[in-house]
Amino acid sequence: MQPNKQSTQRPPFSKVLQKSSLSFLAMMPLLLGVIGLVGLFQVLVTPEMLASLFQGNPLLDTLLGTLIGGISAGNPFISYILGGELVEQGISLYAVSAFILSWVTLGLIQLPAEVEIFGGRFTLYRNMLSFVFVMLIAAATTFSLQVIL
Amino acid sequence: MKSKDKPLTFRGKHLFLTVLCLYILFFLFNSQSAFLALQKSATVFTKILPIIAVVIILTALLNFFLQPKQMARHLGHESGIRGWFWSLLAGVVSHGPIYAWYPLLENLREHGMKDELIVVFFASRAIKIPLIPIMIDYFGLPFTLLLSFYMLFGALLQGVCMQWLQSTKVQQI
Repeated sequence: MQPNKQSTQRPPFSKVLQKSSLSFLAMMPLLLGVIGLVGLFQVLVTPEMLASLFQGNPLLDTLLGTLIGGISAGNPFISYILGGELVEQGISLYAVSAFILSWVTLGLIQLPAEVEIFGGRFTLYRNMLSFVFVMLIAAATTFSLQVIL
Repeated sequence: MKSKDKPLTFRGKHLFLTVLCLYILFFLFNSQSAFLALQKSATVFTKILPIIAVVIILTALLNFFLQPKQMARHLGHESGIRGWFWSLLAGVVSHGPIYAWYPLLENLREHGMKDELIVVFFASRAIKIPLIPIMIDYFGLPFTLLLSFYMLFGALLQGVCMQWLQSTKVQQI
């Protein structure tokens, strides 16, 4: 029977775990490279520098929010704090929504790693879709909120 | 299995060397900031260590319990609605930076996971369950609910778009 045949062919779990650990080890230079870039970014680009880029024009700020969020790195929690401050400064919710969304979905820093793992075409398609959808979702959320409230 | 006798080849050596050179240059010009950047990187690395452990164990468990054919059935071309649902759910519950999940996604892709489902996983990661209370605190409950709804819907739509892009690619070939 097929299931029995499969189970007899199955290697021991320790072997599978070792294989999985080794494939992760092989990816270490890639991970360390990305983590190194995150550290550099966090020191060279401060949240204040990012916040100062917004102009006050909702349309332009939404595009800027998407771009700034896309190049930023760090815990998404920071994007919420920064987003909250931006709203208080009068920056439109369209821009702030785009900013906090692209912070987690777009990633300039991990782009080399994404290309290495998934290939250039996949990375291009995914980031392109993500970029467009960040702005659409930000617009839909803010518009719906304005209609509801 | 195809990957059984694969020798250990390191990935991303060029990226690692480039970043290393950047740090050396940074140390030469501003050693204090360079040290701070190194410290921040070390903090990020320490934080993702538990996630790396989870990903390694999860990859091993998936490879142990699921045969490639079964994986393809759940996430491959025959997966149907189930595949979309699992990818969406996995994206929402997955924790930590996306690059920590690359090895698992690569493994699943090698076993037949569709590209559109990887896109759904990536996109649905925008919802961070542990951070929802903080988002509510900063932006209010209506905003959080609307954004979460549109993010889930948008994740599925992105998957559909990817499926369409892939199909046009196949047609061109």
